[in-house]
Amino acid sequence: MIDTILHILVPIAIFTFIAAFTLFAVYAERKIAGFVQDRLGPMETGKYGSLQTIADILKLLQKELITPSLADKILFRIAPVIIFVAVFTGFAVIPWAKDFIPANTHTGLFFIMAIISIDALGILMAGWGSNNKYSLLGSMRAIAQMVSYEIPVGLSLITVVMLTQTLNLNEIAIGQGILTNGSIKFLGFWEVNEIGGFFAWNIFQAPHLIVTYIIFFIATLAECNRAPFDIPEAESELVGGFHTEYGGIQFAFIFLAEYAMMFLVSMLGVVLFLGGWNTPLPNIGAIRLADWTTGLAWGIFWTLAKSLFIVGIQMWIRWTLPRLRADQLMSLCWKVLTPLAFVCMAISAIWRILIIA
Amino acid sequence: MEIILFYAFAVLAIGSALLLVNLKNIARALFLFFIVLFAMAGLYLFALADFVAITQIMVYVGGVLILMLFAFMLSNKELLKDLKDSSGTFLSMPRWQAIVLSLGFLILMIFGIREWQQSPPTWIQQARENNTEIISTDNNIQQIGLRFMTFYVLPFEVISVFLMMALIGASHLSRKERDR
Repeated sequence: MIDTILHILVPIAIFTFIAAFTLFAVYAERKIAGFVQDRLGPMETGKYGSLQTIADILKLLQKELITPSLADKILFRIAPVIIFVAVFTGFAVIPWAKDFIPANTHTGLFFIMAIISIDALGILMAGWGSNNKYSLLGSMRAIAQMVSYEIPVGLSLITVVMLTQTLNLNEIAIGQGILTNGSIKFLGFWEVNEIGGFFAWNIFQAPHLIVTYIIFFIATLAECNRAPFDIPEAESELVGGFHTEYGGIQFAFIFLAEYAMMFLVSMLGVVLFLGGWNTPLPNIGAIRLADWTTGLAWGIFWTLAKSLFIVGIQMWIRWTLPRLRADQLMSLCWKVLTPLAFVCMAISAIWRILIIA
Repeated sequence: MEIILFYAFAVLAIGSALLLVNLKNIARALFLFFIVLFAMAGLYLFALADFVAITQIMVYVGGVLILMLFAFMLSNKELLKDLKDSSGTFLSMPRWQAIVLSLGFLILMIFGIREWQQSPPTWIQQARENNTEIISTDNNIQQIGLRFMTFYVLPFEVISVFLMMALIGASHLSRKERDR
């Protein structure tokens, strides 16, 4: 009985968190955009415009649900739900702190990869169901991009998994801090089990993982359809991309899914490369900084802080770099990222055989 | 609770499969196909085959289905009209052949149910006695990996060569012809 209640409570908690995060992130995004473009951003509603996103969501919730008369009504209605649920389900297997994870499965990472691919289907559903050429074009672009960029993402994940030897995200996170049972070696030679901190993170355990993380970061930006890879929703060419016809709460759900996806891939990157919930502070002799800052509350704090930092970088990039053309986008994926990811994978295999084992 | 979920998935799979073959709208049929595949993945979970379930979603939903949708959206309407009245094309079968096929499957299934013993097979009982039984919380992926590289290494390599051939063929077909 308690299990069942927990199974209901945990998704509600995560949903509440995603909703709150989206409200906060939209505000942050507009403020960062304002900062980058040398203006103030939202200032009218509340102190420094802090109530702006709450006002926005209240407006969206009150709006009438309009379905275009020639749209495929069933697909049009279902699409936002599928898009959101696909991303939302991904949160089920990501750890927040040691053993503080909604579903501790051995297939965690594989599950996330599979479930995110359903997102593409929802986008195609939305584009086709709207019966609008801009929507269809937008969704076709989005799918072409997501399917292509899934390859560098998958390869960079394999690169990490080759070293960690597990798909369980909880165990991957444990293996990057002072709580591990195995041995951790900074750059492959200096044992740092006692010291912990950022020395024990995956990207510092094997230096080629730094390259892999950059590949992963760029490819996941494209997976989220964020700038500079936002041709699927290029406002100047396609009105609004695949969600042109959506309004009200349906649009809110698509928007929620986009921000949830941003947070999901940031969190995934943090767990795989940046130590997950492990503290960045090392033990220095008698000053046990790592021991002091490890625990349930600290774990949640570090996960949140690192993920929000990565989300911040995503926003910074969005407002700094111009949009890539479709052919540039594809050649970046197939001619730069994919071969590089393959090279990293090969290095990982050699590293595993020669240095770890 | 588990039984309710099992039957929910089963009804979802069978119901949407039935609806799928009766639907005239190909786009909706393809999206229904997604539901069928997803429900099948759910059913695999009840057989403790979580890896197979996830692979099903990854390969079929993330790959095959998206490709099918792409092919459908890039093909012109004339082509689709031909598909719609399928009585003349080579894919459709006269009724009696379909009846023979489905009767064959029915006989196969009845035979399977008659042969099925209520108790688990001997190799499972043996594993239970030796405490080598694999349960749902075990790390199945490690087992799968070990098996792939030891017992099933030949089929595994054959499949990888086959996939390699498919990849080379695809890149050859899509390559631009050089000007002569």
